[in-house]
Amino acid sequence: MNVTLTVNGETLSLDVPPSTTLLDLLRDRLSLHGTKEYCHSGVCGACTVLADGKAVSSCSMLAGQVEGADVLTIEGLTPDEGLHPIQQAFVDNFGLQCGYCTPGMILLAKALLDENPAPTREEIIRYMGGNICRCTGYAGILRSVEAAVKERGSWS
Amino acid sequence: MCAATGPNVTRLVGQSMPSLEAPDKAAGRIEYMADLTVPNMAHAKVVRSPLPHARIVSIDASEARAMPGVVCVLTRDEVRADPEVEEVYGFVYRDAPLVAMDKVRHQGDIVAVVVADDVDTAEAAAELVDVEYEELPAVMNVPQALAEGAVQVHEEFFPIAPELRPIEGTNVCHHATIGCGDVEQGFAESDFVYEDEFLAPPVQHCALDLHAVISQVEDGQITVWTNCQSPFPLGRELERIFKMPARVIIPYVGGGFGSKSRDRIECVITAAAKLAGRPVRYILTQEETFMTFIRPAYRNRMRTGVKRDGTIVARHNEFWVDVGGYAISGARSANNTLKVATGPYRIPNARVDCYAVYTNKPPSSPYRGLPTTQHTMSYEAQFDRIARDLGIDRLELRRRNLVRDGDIHITGDYLRSAHSHECLEQATEAIGWNEPLPVDPEGKKLRGRGVSCTIKYTLTPAREMSENSAEVALVEDGVFEVRIGTVNIGQGSDTVMAQIAGDALSVGLESVRIVHSDTYRVPVDSSTTASRSTYHMGRAVVEATDNLKPQMLEAASQLLEREAASLVFTPEGIAQADGSANVTYGELVERVGSPLAATGDCVVGGMYAGPDGKSYPIASTFWTFASCAAEVEVDTETGTVRVVKAAASATTGTAVNPHSIETQLEGGIGQEIGPTLFEQLVWDDGGQLINAALLDYPLPTMETMPEYAPRFVDHPFEGGPFGAKGMGEIGSVVVPGAVVNAVYDATGVLFHEVPLTPHKIIEGLEGQR
Repeated sequence: MNVTLTVNGETLSLDVPPSTTLLDLLRDRLSLHGTKEYCHSGVCGACTVLADGKAVSSCSMLAGQVEGADVLTIEGLTPDEGLHPIQQAFVDNFGLQCGYCTPGMILLAKALLDENPAPTREEIIRYMGGNICRCTGYAGILRSVEAAVKERGSWS
Repeated sequence: MCAATGPNVTRLVGQSMPSLEAPDKAAGRIEYMADLTVPNMAHAKVVRSPLPHARIVSIDASEARAMPGVVCVLTRDEVRADPEVEEVYGFVYRDAPLVAMDKVRHQGDIVAVVVADDVDTAEAAAELVDVEYEELPAVMNVPQALAEGAVQVHEEFFPIAPELRPIEGTNVCHHATIGCGDVEQGFAESDFVYEDEFLAPPVQHCALDLHAVISQVEDGQITVWTNCQSPFPLGRELERIFKMPARVIIPYVGGGFGSKSRDRIECVITAAAKLAGRPVRYILTQEETFMTFIRPAYRNRMRTGVKRDGTIVARHNEFWVDVGGYAISGARSANNTLKVATGPYRIPNARVDCYAVYTNKPPSSPYRGLPTTQHTMSYEAQFDRIARDLGIDRLELRRRNLVRDGDIHITGDYLRSAHSHECLEQATEAIGWNEPLPVDPEGKKLRGRGVSCTIKYTLTPAREMSENSAEVALVEDGVFEVRIGTVNIGQGSDTVMAQIAGDALSVGLESVRIVHSDTYRVPVDSSTTASRSTYHMGRAVVEATDNLKPQMLEAASQLLEREAASLVFTPEGIAQADGSANVTYGELVERVGSPLAATGDCVVGGMYAGPDGKSYPIASTFWTFASCAAEVEVDTETGTVRVVKAAASATTGTAVNPHSIETQLEGGIGQEIGPTLFEQLVWDDGGQLINAALLDYPLPTMETMPEYAPRFVDHPFEGGPFGAKGMGEIGSVVVPGAVVNAVYDATGVLFHEVPLTPHKIIEGLEGQR
């Protein structure tokens, strides 16, 4: 089947088998390895990307479901030089250790801050509660998101 | 002489800094195993046993082999047909065949490997492999495995490690004891004797970066890329099995927590690659990781004799570890438990009996501090029962019994840096131990606080030797390359080693480059486990710089035509002390014409010369002491336990990267909340694991996160690099004990088994009424 979608600002038209997931499409067809896989069942959030601004588990979406969608991955969030303010907040606040859940966490935080520029701590916890991190105990991630919220005014 | 304390200048050591690779990780630019490919790579799928215990009658792979796109199928027949391949492997117990030979010993045991041009074809062909089994009775837990007439999981024993002692004719693959004093006399002298039995569940590590391997066998040379935690032992095992040189390369690893500490897929995929004549990649699925290595179930029986004032007089501890179908590494973990089973207390008469038992569960592996975690829960929970029974304050009871510097541990070790009292005070103060607990006006939610104390070992050789080296080289661009076998698994090891190397050389981070874990590019290292790297690799790095400096001085002396003794090291290069001449590191290496390099070792083990002139054994190179204080809220209607606050304090020696230590403690606490409150692998009566999918296996999330209070006691440790010790696992070790005790405080019920599921809590509360 043919799928047309926008990935990180670039519109693509691809022939893929109907069983292809968005995760497979990103990783295997487009070599965008920043999107990670673990549970392959939509639970852990390592494969989180943004589709039309919403955080989704790319392992649980078939390519056909993202026809016409605007997909943002960690590669698309990262500027040519330096880091996006949310990424920088994760670095500065020790919001990562092994780094495997990090792209998904950062994109989830991006979706949160786009929806709600000034979330409370409780709102952050509820929103971020779906993604699994095995290293940090989440404390550093919470500090990072809170720092990004504080800085929110200074970036567009 | 211990060169490891290094110079007194510390500019990098002691500073909190994010990991060197953090920006690349935040950008998603770091490559993990699943992101690597090699040219002409084929893909493997493993055919696994659906049964926990069965004899293999026949394997028919002809249909799979005939499928277009299939390269080969490896079964026992191909392994047997290759005279140059050893059939069996294992790190401490050589009991695991590359693929199942005569029988399968756990659900998910490896029966065959299908190699194809792509993953989908391999998966489809794996379905076509026809295996006929003759089902055998399975022993799914320790009581079953020890029952009279129980089926033997292994009919013969093949221990490699000298300390392992199987009991022939049983499923006990290791029984060992340790003791001091006279335990029976101790009980006789006690005013009270308490006996309890505690259970801790089997769980899985759930490292998100799936265990994976690419193996290539070409021109008599093996090259393996894998995210395992022990590249050098793996390389040696590959060389033994295949009788050819092996190189092991480890990329950045996305967590392991012990699940990747020993080989389970690398050797078999190498056999498949040899047969295929092409590089083969294999990535476990999440469900397969649950059948590859798990943290074992623990049963722990404790008798403790005390005086009326709470002084411990005697302790007998018997424990049974369920090592699963293969004791590849589980038997050694069980043995190490002897060192810590009695806890951080002065006990004049003690005995520990350890039994490692084969069952038909998946093989067990270490898990962030195992087995100290399970023992800490047991002796700490029993301690609170004793305190309540004797009417002694819980903290006071601990203060009366905790070890101090100069005490002799059950292993015979002379304890140093034993700041156990400070840890206890720090942790309890951090959660406001003496502040009044909030009271639920409706009386449905109960609050309580609990505390735990521990002592933990690190891996230590039985005799004096170095188990790891480091190389430091001044290379072309004037940068110091630090070559280490330590696997960067997310713990921040590159950063800590760069801090240590930078200070040892008096240069900034920009002049240090870390090269890690490629067995052909870095010197030997035993493993990245047991919180050992900061101390052991840190010392080797310091020694390497000590060995490099005279070479650099000699070279600079010739270039500058100055006496070596008159030269000093500066951040930029080497200079005449009076400033009259200097050479930068870049110029130095350029003019010498080749890199200057030196290696350093870390010799440990042997005997410790005590300040009393006596000599003491060293069962652990350093001991880590820690305490956790936790506050919980128990919902008496739903049975839900919430950890509200959790403080952990540990003896870290000099804090090389203080904030990194704090985040390691937070991560350890957060991770262990799972097995304490809700994580548990469950098998049904037919021996089938019913919750191997993450959908059925809840993990801690941001919503279960307590308010953390990480603390550390950082008195420099004599012998450590700049005074540092290791600490990666200690945060998790102290959690279950503190939480069980906090629930006891809240409800009056002492639970003897974790996880503290709502069902158990409700049952416990009803039993009390």
